[in-house]
Formats: sequence, C-alpha cells, structure tokens
Amino acid sequence: MPRLRDLPLVDASIPDSATFADAVARLFEARVPALAVTSADGRLVGVVSELDVLRAVFPRYLAELRHTAFLEDDLAGLDERADAVRDRPVAELARSVAVLDGGESATHAAERFLHTGEQALPVVEGGRVLGMLSIAALCHARFDRVER
Amino acid sequence: MATLSVVIFVSALALIAVEWVHRTKVALAGAALMVLTGAVDQEHAIESIDWATLGLLAGMMVIVGLTEPTGVFTFLALRVAQLSKGNPIALVFLLALVTGVLSAFLDNLTAILLVVPITLLIADILRISPIPLVLVEILSSNIGGTATLIGDPPNIMIGTARPELSFLDFIVNLAPVAIVTLVVVTGGLALVFRSQLRVDPARAQEIAALDAARDMREADKVGRTMAVLIGTIVAFFLHTLLHLEPAVVALTGATVMLLVAADDVEAALERIEWSTLFFFIGLFVMVGGLEEQGVVDNVAEWLADLTGGSSTAEGLVVLWGSAGGSALVDNIPFTAAMIPVVSSLQGTEFDDGLWWALALGACFGGNATMIAAAANVAATGILDRNGQPVSFARFLAVGVPVTFVSLVIATGYLLLFQL
Repeated sequence: MPRLRDLPLVDASIPDSATFADAVARLFEARVPALAVTSADGRLVGVVSELDVLRAVFPRYLAELRHTAFLEDDLAGLDERADAVRDRPVAELARSVAVLDGGESATHAAERFLHTGEQALPVVEGGRVLGMLSIAALCHARFDRVER
Repeated sequence: MATLSVVIFVSALALIAVEWVHRTKVALAGAALMVLTGAVDQEHAIESIDWATLGLLAGMMVIVGLTEPTGVFTFLALRVAQLSKGNPIALVFLLALVTGVLSAFLDNLTAILLVVPITLLIADILRISPIPLVLVEILSSNIGGTATLIGDPPNIMIGTARPELSFLDFIVNLAPVAIVTLVVVTGGLALVFRSQLRVDPARAQEIAALDAARDMREADKVGRTMAVLIGTIVAFFLHTLLHLEPAVVALTGATVMLLVAADDVEAALERIEWSTLFFFIGLFVMVGGLEEQGVVDNVAEWLADLTGGSSTAEGLVVLWGSAGGSALVDNIPFTAAMIPVVSSLQGTEFDDGLWWALALGACFGGNATMIAAAANVAATGILDRNGQPVSFARFLAVGVPVTFVSLVIATGYLLLFQL
C-alpha cells in the first residue's frame, strides 16, 4: 500500500523571510495552491495559500459582499494596495493547518482535504517537510494506479 | 443561595463584557451553575426560557437570510450613495436613514452586516476613510432598532415578555423619539465628520456611473422574497388584530419564505445563528435563578425605595440605569435581568411608560461603548479585518456623547408624554 511519501509531492516551500511578492511568484511557478513556509532550520512555520494572498492583495470586504457585478471597472486603489503589501514578510500570512505525515494513507489525506477545505497540505516526516500534496496530485496518483 | 446566584450572574456579566470567552459559553456555563447549585430548580429553569423570543429571533434570521442573497440590500445602499452625489452631509444622512430603517424592520445586527461591507466599497471608490461612515451606521442602527418590537434584541425580549405591548404600540411610542434622535445625532455627526468626508467630484461620478440594479439576480426570486418580507412586516403591524403573537408571525413568515425561496432547506436553516439562540437560553435560565432566589424582587424594592415610589422617578432611573448597565456589559443580558425587575416594580398595575423607559435606555445605551451591542462588535470587527481598526477610546469619544444626547431627548420625551 503506497504511503503519502510515495506520491508526487511538490517541492513548494518558501523561507519565512521571503516577501508576499516572492510567495505569489513561487505559487505561480510551482503550480500548487499552497506553499509550505519554513524557518531557517527547515522547520514548518505554516502554509500560505492562493486564497491567503488573494485576501492580502484585494480588499477583505469583498468576501462579505455577495455581489459586485455593478463594478465594471477595477477599484482605483488596487495598484497602490498591491504596492503597499508586496514587500511584507510572508510569515505574516503563514497559517497553521493540518499536517500530513509521510507514513499516512491517501484515504486519510482525502479525509483531511474534505474536512479542512484546504487545496494543498504539507507532508512532513521526522520534522522535515517532504513537500506539498495537492488534491489534484492525490487524485492523479489514484488514476495512474488504476491505469497501471 | 441568593448571594451565590448574584455572584454567578455578575461574574457571567463581567466575563461577557471583557470578551475573554465567547458569550454563549459564558451564558450556558452560568445557567448550568445556577441549576447544579440549586439556585434554580430544573422545572423552573425550563420554564424561564422565553421560547417566544427564540422563535421570533429564529424566524427573522431565516427571513433575512433568504432575502439578503437577492442583492436588494446592496442595491439600496448603493442607491443612497449615488443619491448623495458626493455631498458628505447628504451621504451621512442617507446612510444613517437606510441603516436606521433596515434596523427597525430587520434588526440592528443584520442591518450592520448588510450595509458595512458595501460602505467599505463606497469609501474605497470615493477614497475617503470608511470609519466615520461606519460609526454613523453603528449609531443609527441602534437608534433605528429602538423604533420597533423587532428592531433590537432588548425590544424583542420586552415585546415577548409583555404581550400587552403590541408591535404597533412600539411604533407609536418609540418610533417618534427614535426618529428625532436619529436626525439630531446624525446632524451632529455629519458636522463633526464633514472634513473627513470631502469627496473629489470625479470620484462621486464613479459611484454615480455604477449600475446599482445589476446585482439583483433572479428577478422572480427578488419579487417573491420581498413579498414575503413585506407581508411579514405588515402582519407584525396587524398581529393584535390577527390574534397572533409576534413569534408566530415571524415563524410563519419564515415558513412561507422557505416554501417560496429556499432551493436548499438545509442551507437556508444554516442562516439561523444558533450561538445567539443558546446565548439567550443561558441568560433566561440565569435570570430565572435570580427570580427564584428573590433577587429580582429585592432589586425592585430597592429601586422603589430609592425613588420614593414616584413613577416619574422610577421611569428616569430605569432609563438612565438601563443605559449605563447596557453600556458597561451588553444590552441583551442587562435587559434580560431588568424585565422581571420592571415587572416587579410596577406590581399589579400595568404601566407602559416604564417599559418604554427600559427599551429606550437599553437600546440607546447600546451606543455608548464598543461592546454595548452586538452590532457595534460586528461592525468594528469588519473594520478591523479591513485594516481600519477603531480603538475602544475612539469609539467611546463618539459613543458617549451620542448616548448622552439620545438619553436627554428620551428623558424629555418620557417626561412630556409617558411618565
């Protein structure tokens, strides 16, 4: 029975000293919905997801407005807002989330995804971050297994 | 045992005020302690729970919860911003008006949750600070909510505890003083804040260009939900004629709303704020303990002695005392405790003046501090999440003068017409 450590984990970590802009660039390159934020000694500090950076770059009140179809143009202050947050340390955004162990099963990971609402979770073993596991990677690995 | 019940209740009030623990946990723990220590027996504890209040609250939560996604309220707030044409005084008055009216006919917390996010957007477009506008909305919500039986939790509790007071009685006796207070307070705030609300005409033009109606989706659903909402409000006006309790009106309205507008009943019922309902249950049981231990009668006797039995003095003590108590703790638990005190104070002769004094004191007192009413906590929380924190002192600097002016107006009104 394969364990999480055997799945296609993505090396998507970022040091806690990096900036919001670095995090967005890393998310864009790594093609996973969340990054593991790590300390200088490689320990997991938390995760930063695409939604976390969205909330930082755009006004928080958008989440409390159900509709904004009346806004045909962008809000005028968006560029200034992005400029104001781009150099902030990513550690400010790092959140504690459920952590998966490399020795756990895919079924357990699926249950964690369903119950936490996260789209990618860190897989750790012996205090070391093995990588990020996304929902897509988890399901893709299952289809691969069936085809084989 | 009486002392123990007082210690439990006062400790709970203090914990609710400092917000170290969620208020619902505090109220339920206090209720459990009252029962487990024998301050109130189990039968009386169950009887103490005012199920009509819970039904009214739950019914309105469902009705509003199903109306809100239609975008009607966003449309309203956006339209008033457009009508102001960038004039800060007009903007303040119109936002105060829409918040006050929504508070009166939905409830003040709901009104705040509806108007504050759109106000943040409006302020963003106009490039002005949202804080003055949101402060005006908080204060207007508490004043507007004073006008009706369903506008503010203290009124809901009073209205369900005293069936002699109809929905129309609340409107006739409280709406005029609420309207005068709203106009005076908003006028003062508009003057105080006017320099912070100067708007670049080009920005005002951006607001004017928005198509406010664009977000009202599913026109037939808008029509159905608004018909049920308006029908429910009309039924509140007529509830005495219809021989229906306000809770029955709200729950019937909620049922009709579920039938005509809820695609998913489970999701619709998730709009019920269970933590609020359990908070009320805890409070009712704790107050039941105070009643059973004779504490309520003792406080009423003390008040009667203090005022020398003069109904005018009693009314003024209830008004100012309720405002002070609500400001320090939270107007919901304070009103829960004061209802039996006022009942005991008036004895066998029903005096509605004392009830209006309690309603005005508890509702207006809700404006004094950031923690005095749920609407204040919710609105300042939204501001905080959006990087616009309002300190306790800053709120106090606006809230206390507004409460004082409101109470002076209420005092004049009670002396002239009620006491």
